[in-house]
Amino acid sequence: MIKTAFKSVLAHKVRLVLTAVAIILGVSLVTGTFIFTDTITKQFDTLLDEIYSGTDVSVRAETGDFSAGTEPFPANVLADVEQVDGVAVADGGVASLTAQVLDRDGMPIGGQGPPTLGFSWGETPSLNPMKIKDDQGRAPEGPGEVVLDANTVSSAGFAVGDTVTIVGFEGPDEFELVGVASFGDQDSLLGATIVLFELEEAMRVFGFDDELAGISVQAEPGVDSEQLAMDIAAVLPTGVEAVTGETEQNEQAADINEGLGFLSIGLLAFAGVSIFVGAFIIQNTFRIIIAQRTRELALLRAIGATGRQVRWMVLVEAFFVGLFGSIVGIVVGFAMALGIRGLMNLVGLGIPSGSLVLLPRTVIVGMAVGLILTMASALLPARKASKIPPVAALREDAARTPRRSLHTRALAGSAVLGLGVVFLFLGLFTGIGRAIVLVGLGAAVSFIGVSVLAPLAAKPLANIIGWPLPRLFGVAGQLARENTKRKPRRTASTASALMVGVALVAFFTVFASSTKASVSETVFELFPADLALSSTIQSDPELLSPMSPSLVEELKTYDELSVVSGMQFGRILIDGDTHLLDAFDPETIGQVFFLDPNDDALSLVAEVNSMIVATSFLESQGWVIGDTITIEYLTTGEVATVIVGSFESDDFSNMYVSTETYIENFRYQGDGFIFANAADGVTVDEAQSAIAPTIDRYGNVKAQSKSEIVTDAEMQIDQALALFTGLLFFAVIIAVLGITNTLTLSVYERTREIGLLRAVGMVRRQVRRMIRWEAVIVATFGAILGVLIGIILGWSVVRALADEGFGAFAIPYGQVLLALVLAAVAGVLAAIWPARKASRMNVLDAIRTE
Amino acid sequence: MTTTELTRTAARVENGIKSYGEGDASVHALNGVTVSFVQGEFTAIMGPSGSGKSTLLHCIAGLDTLSEGKAYIGDVDLASLSDRDLTILRRERVGFIFQAFNLIPTLDARENILLPLTIAGKDADTDWYNQIIETVGLADRLTHLPAELSGGQQQRVAAARALVSRPEIVFADEPSGNLDSKSSAELLGFMRRAVKEFGQTIVMVTHDPGTAAYADRIVFLTDGKIVDEMSDPTADSVFDRLKSLGG
Ligand SMILES: Nc1ncnc2c1ncn2[C@@H]1O[C@H](COP(=O)(O)OP(=O)(O)O)[C@@H](O)[C@H]1O
Ligand SMILES: [Mg+2]
Repeated sequence: MIKTAFKSVLAHKVRLVLTAVAIILGVSLVTGTFIFTDTITKQFDTLLDEIYSGTDVSVRAETGDFSAGTEPFPANVLADVEQVDGVAVADGGVASLTAQVLDRDGMPIGGQGPPTLGFSWGETPSLNPMKIKDDQGRAPEGPGEVVLDANTVSSAGFAVGDTVTIVGFEGPDEFELVGVASFGDQDSLLGATIVLFELEEAMRVFGFDDELAGISVQAEPGVDSEQLAMDIAAVLPTGVEAVTGETEQNEQAADINEGLGFLSIGLLAFAGVSIFVGAFIIQNTFRIIIAQRTRELALLRAIGATGRQVRWMVLVEAFFVGLFGSIVGIVVGFAMALGIRGLMNLVGLGIPSGSLVLLPRTVIVGMAVGLILTMASALLPARKASKIPPVAALREDAARTPRRSLHTRALAGSAVLGLGVVFLFLGLFTGIGRAIVLVGLGAAVSFIGVSVLAPLAAKPLANIIGWPLPRLFGVAGQLARENTKRKPRRTASTASALMVGVALVAFFTVFASSTKASVSETVFELFPADLALSSTIQSDPELLSPMSPSLVEELKTYDELSVVSGMQFGRILIDGDTHLLDAFDPETIGQVFFLDPNDDALSLVAEVNSMIVATSFLESQGWVIGDTITIEYLTTGEVATVIVGSFESDDFSNMYVSTETYIENFRYQGDGFIFANAADGVTVDEAQSAIAPTIDRYGNVKAQSKSEIVTDAEMQIDQALALFTGLLFFAVIIAVLGITNTLTLSVYERTREIGLLRAVGMVRRQVRRMIRWEAVIVATFGAILGVLIGIILGWSVVRALADEGFGAFAIPYGQVLLALVLAAVAGVLAAIWPARKASRMNVLDAIRTE
Repeated sequence: MTTTELTRTAARVENGIKSYGEGDASVHALNGVTVSFVQGEFTAIMGPSGSGKSTLLHCIAGLDTLSEGKAYIGDVDLASLSDRDLTILRRERVGFIFQAFNLIPTLDARENILLPLTIAGKDADTDWYNQIIETVGLADRLTHLPAELSGGQQQRVAAARALVSRPEIVFADEPSGNLDSKSSAELLGFMRRAVKEFGQTIVMVTHDPGTAAYADRIVFLTDGKIVDEMSDPTADSVFDRLKSLGG
């Protein structure tokens, strides 16, 4: 049996390759994702090893649940640490995530890509992962001196001795580039820009006030680092802790892995879509193959093979195809990893290059995915094969196994679809964590349901889609239409694969355009201000990066601006849960920001350590106005805070305090937002150009009008959409290959028919046209179903998110139409090979009667 | 060969050789065949299985090419035509009836009959079409799909299709090979009438003496060579001739 199956695979190489392509693409996406993330993980591991190679103990501010990186503690701690027995060297340092280097044209370096990291220069070489490159200057030694990493220096075209502008805590300042540093032997630290100052200077530029962000300790030989950490901890004041270098390294690695985990789950989700689409194709292929081999299989049955044996033969055949596809898929995975890296870089994520890492896990998962996908897809067709009666070998009409009735199909399909919809709704209206899983599951089950129902729609829809064809292309057009109608199941399952891809693209497109519409509504409602200023850096995914405190002061000097109002952001803990807290100037906020406050909430919140809360949030927390609650701040610890009022607009934040309260409880590093209104008689444009010199000087700040904010947000949404669409592209390719596959098999099946058409006078061009339009109908059919599902899905998700500020539902008609047109074009492309095959078909093959 | 001057030749083959395979393993399906088919005549090609009848038919009809020698439809040398021109020649000047699988399953009887014209983008000559339909006796079956027709009806649809474009010559390869005797008689009767009433030229391959008796002339083929021919045959005379050839 195995031999027969193996021979059968080899005998049909085209079929093998076409089926395998679906497997190869699916597997390569999975392995590519693994290779990609494993490679980055390894790069980070090497990096961390290097950073912590000399550090035995690390002293830092205790941040607990706040998990902040550069929190300061008093500088005098260093002297105490140095006194501890077993400490060989202790180096104090400061760090910043918000410093910004400007290039020669005054533009911020790095942009949306890798971050800028600011450090003080470590005096002890063994504790300092950076070193000055040979013959490229020296370490920073005092005020006005800076060292940059080699990669930044060369890409920005700087040279030792140049003057470089860096925006720090005190605003933009000029420094002399005194040296070029490398990271061990590496010129680049994963693409990050690294800025290094002498310690005192670093404190000034990063806004540290006789404070340190960390102390790296090297133990004396033979001293155990665990013990040393404990000894050091004993001399530390509260709020400062000592951990071993290894612990800190592991913490960092865990943080990085968590981030990468999200990325790889995201990528694997898209790989999952491709595999799902691939399953349709593979199942379809096996079904057609079995239909074509009915006689052969029946003959096997007639000469004594059991149904079981036939089933096994088909499964073994699937095994060989799956094996082949998986192996090739793993190899192609390398290319895919490079592709993913390229795609990420294209949307500005700045992933460094490096040699790719293949772990045994990747191979095992890749093989498993390929084999299980193929075998599982072949299960139903194999079952069908085992049901072929032996008489089918002898009688033409017996070759048809009885079909499930339309009625049964409609019932079964509706049931499956219903189940999918239930999952979807459960997902849409439950908590976020499980929601994604449920929505994904619901979507997958719904797709299966629709694909079960699709054959019912295949005939009428093909009729409508193909309606103009006979008029336009005569018999070729007519036959193309008839061909898609005669095997509705085949047409439907071929189209289903494309449906899934198109539905997801349509969903994301609808979702994106609804988001855009909502964003624009929200922005115009929320910001009465003429201008909003914010940082171009994003060092924290949840909080807006602070702009230098000096900026707001400078802005206030402009006569063109009537109101300048800053807003600050920070994290707090309430009952152990992390929340975001926003702060504003109660006197001016009303002129620039829409809060819809109740009563005199705005004037009351001016009182230090009082706050106002959104009414919806008040309710959900069970608070009432007048309550005193305990807020835990990173810097000041637990602070009793009175709720003095409420407001209605919860689109932006749930809790606000005054800037005064903020400065009292946070380490003030600058404003996240600065709102400004143009003075009377000054247009927004005029105000914008008036302050342009200041904005330009800071380099890392943008001053935007409302419509610019909207455009900005829209651009980001478009980028995300492009990324998603790019990732879905593979699923669409698999689907299009599926059309090619089905058509090629159909062409073989119709050898006689095509030969006959050729015999009675159809020229090759007409044959090609016939096949081409058949593909176009199938593709359009799939795309129409997909677009419909995508829109429905988009609509329900937007509705479900109405509470989250989604006011608008918008269908981008242009893009939807484009998707349909592209699907039709994809059909044309899919048909190239089968159409060619058909037109080259030997006329005589058709008329030979064996 | 005096008749060729008086009557025109619809198709002919000169020294036709067709070989399959290379070197020692090569088979000569046609081994130097010279034959011509006269306009308005019903010719049968007879011979044992494997004698090259189908090959000969395919080569004259432009479905296959000769290894050596020449094949003509009218005055056109088939070897001189490109695939496209050959296809168009088949569509406009030649009709076919095969033993089976003559019809496109997705088209109904009427559409199948009109297929050569539709492919060419031409309108049917209504009088001619009606005349064929009437003669073939399928007026009430025109909207049926092939699967809804009997074997005999299917072959008559195929015959009607072969005639619809008024081809110069119709080739039929064992057209009644799969039919019972009644259906067979209906089909052959129709072909006979097409020759008598419309002056159609038909070349038909068969190995059945009864079928061959419908023809005006019979050409006998053995091992890829023409070995004999006879005119105005009857079933009995054909049977006798076959016996003498076989013995
Ligand atoms: N495609 C082919 N390849 C090799 N040999 C062939 C091919 N077609 C026909 N033949 C051989 O040519 C000979 C004549 O075949 P054919 O014309 O079909 O005979 P008939 O129609 O008289 O039965 C046979 O020996 C057959 O085996
Ligand atoms: Mg034959």
